Amino acid sequence: METMVAQAGSSIPLKADQRAGKYLTFRLGNEEYAVQVLRVREIMGIQEITAVPQTPSYVKGVINLRGRVIPVIDLRLKFGLPEIEYTQRTCIIVAQIESQAAGKIQIGVIVDCVSEVLTLQTSDIEDTPDFGNGVDTNYLLGMAKVKGKVKILLDIDKVLSAQEAQSIGAF
Amino acid sequence: MAVESQTKSNTAAANPLASDPELLNDFILESREHLASIELQLLTLDQDPSNSEAIHAIFRGFHTIKGMAGFLDLDEVRDVAHEVETILDLARNSRLNITSAVIDRILESKDYLNRWMTELEAMLETGKTPAVPRSDALIESIRSLASEPVMETSPVSAQQADIALPEEHPQPQAIPESLPPSEHKDPVGEELRELSQDLSTSALNPHPETPLAAGENPEAGKPADARGAGPRSIKVDTAKLDYLVDMVGEMVIAQSLVRHDPDLALGQRSRLARNLSQLARITDDVQRTAMSMRMIPIGQLFQKTARLVRDLSRKAGKVVELELQGEETELDRNIVEELADPLMHMVRNSIDHGIETTEERERNGKTASARVTLKAGHQAGHILIQISDDGRGLDQDKILRKARERGLLDSDAHPAESEIFNLIFHPGFSTADKITDVSGRGVGMDVVRKHVQKLRGRIDIQSTPGAGTTFLVKLPLTLAIIDGLVVGVGPQRYIVPIFAIREMLKPTEDSISTVQGRGEMAMVRGSLLPLVRLHERFEVTPRFEKPWESLLIVSESGGKQFCLMVDELIGKQEVVIKSLGGTMQNITGVAGGAILGDGRVGLILDLEGLCRVGNRE
Repeated sequence: METMVAQAGSSIPLKADQRAGKYLTFRLGNEEYAVQVLRVREIMGIQEITAVPQTPSYVKGVINLRGRVIPVIDLRLKFGLPEIEYTQRTCIIVAQIESQAAGKIQIGVIVDCVSEVLTLQTSDIEDTPDFGNGVDTNYLLGMAKVKGKVKILLDIDKVLSAQEAQSIGAF
Repeated sequence: MAVESQTKSNTAAANPLASDPELLNDFILESREHLASIELQLLTLDQDPSNSEAIHAIFRGFHTIKGMAGFLDLDEVRDVAHEVETILDLARNSRLNITSAVIDRILESKDYLNRWMTELEAMLETGKTPAVPRSDALIESIRSLASEPVMETSPVSAQQADIALPEEHPQPQAIPESLPPSEHKDPVGEELRELSQDLSTSALNPHPETPLAAGENPEAGKPADARGAGPRSIKVDTAKLDYLVDMVGEMVIAQSLVRHDPDLALGQRSRLARNLSQLARITDDVQRTAMSMRMIPIGQLFQKTARLVRDLSRKAGKVVELELQGEETELDRNIVEELADPLMHMVRNSIDHGIETTEERERNGKTASARVTLKAGHQAGHILIQISDDGRGLDQDKILRKARERGLLDSDAHPAESEIFNLIFHPGFSTADKITDVSGRGVGMDVVRKHVQKLRGRIDIQSTPGAGTTFLVKLPLTLAIIDGLVVGVGPQRYIVPIFAIREMLKPTEDSISTVQGRGEMAMVRGSLLPLVRLHERFEVTPRFEKPWESLLIVSESGGKQFCLMVDELIGKQEVVIKSLGGTMQNITGVAGGAILGDGRVGLILDLEGLCRVGNRE
């Protein structure tokens, strides 16, 4: 354990420092994901979503967030996981993202359920391993090991990357 | 204020352009305001060169800019303002006549300063150094004016000349607000500062230099104060205002949600009902007030045209008088902004094509000086703007001939008058025999129609040969709210803007026919209209598959009618238009979103887009 911490700390000190901080964790299927708490505006239960035509299937539509209309995406569909029925535990995490195409926008992300808020130290975080072609690691910040469990750290800006944001618009 | 500017002055001295961006921004804003009012006053002066009040107002504007620019070390700006000030000083002391050459130079200087403001703004945003040409030539040309001899004395009242004295002091820093008190070494400036402070407390005026104006001339408050702002007004960020209007709209909806909540209707609750209707009245009032805050008089836009008319008529060698009516008519700020371009094109069109040369006018027994009238007013919940000229009118035969040459019309077609006039809105259509740098490329009127349509308005033309042409532009009062019909398709609800709806009907089975087994048509009042199934466009499951079970909405967009098939009509609602957010802005057939009565989001349909997609397939 000790040696591994030292490795993570010395090889990428700057990047790891930036990644340390508070994270909100949530579940998708059997996997635990985490986003930086600073990016999260609020968490709400699932509500009725107005479908918008000509958008990719993972874009579920738009909702009314206290008078503002914001897009909502289903993270399961985005990550290629099977779609499931929404339950009482299904949540919409409203996150602030920065995309090159649209600037600062708020976006709702549907997840199976929200777990907890964790403080991750630099030593908890590792770089994303290379999975080869099978897994898109582009929007992962890294991996964290907490109490023997793996949390996948998401770069929420890249989840809806500039390219994809544009393609939603151009449809 | 004083303490603030003191600290700022230090940084400004150390590093002129990279000084406090906030201060620079204030400077830009204020200068822009001054420059706008200067232009206005110049045009007044152009009409009446002896108007000493206008001279004073222009002088004050340049003087303030000069003071502030000196303070910010913007030497070029200061020098130009200074030279203009010198000329104006001669003029107001009757040592120089205001000729159109003088006015031209001052307008040029004004444009030059405006350019500086634009560059400075860009610098604040991007950090790049302003690239404005040197002012030497301009200054030289202004100086040369001063050497012109005086022909006659223009009247300047003793009172004005007298009180204006302190301003003639060659210290630009004499502007009280631009320097901290501690640096005031000269007694005149000190005195002036006290005077203006006294005045500003009594006049409650937010503009630092207006108290001076009030002191100079008791009547200055009304006509000479070109900013037109009342004595008590504040500047508010437009984004804040838009947000306020937005949220008030939501408040109205939330209020109606509470009011119609089924839980509240239970039992005997007359007091609650009374209080709720009181709340409804208040929210209504608040909404109306909030909307009115975003309204600005169209006069500002008209006045911008005044400059254009002057320049264009000069260039074309025509004498044109501009008449403005209904300048006080109020419009949503966003509409006024969008209207600037089309108005410019229409005025250009009038001056370049509509109005004859002076000789031609005289030959036809008209007055040598032509007249362009801009008129605004309310009409049945809309704003009506008229742009008329008393020129030669549209030549129907010429338009027809050009249209046939270009293949826009069959050679045997005989369209109605209005249809002929509408041909000039066609992209690339021009009847001009020669292309000038003003018009003739056939771009203008096309742009006009596009803009007006974007504003959900319509444009018509009236024209009488030999007597002139009038463009009638009809616009909604505001862009923020539209009247919509809420329609349902399957589980989804959509909002159809009412302005685009011609009629609604339940068709009979035999009025529906198909072309090649696919393209569906509906016979409505004797004409065959294409049928667009909304559920197919948006891929939702409808409740009714057969057109004769569902509802057809006959709409018109871009001059073409079509039927939109929906399941049912749910109701009518005023909705606040919202953008769907950066990522979903350009969805064909969707104009935006709106919060419906139950708090859900409904999509507002863009009928033109739907129709276009329909045609393509």
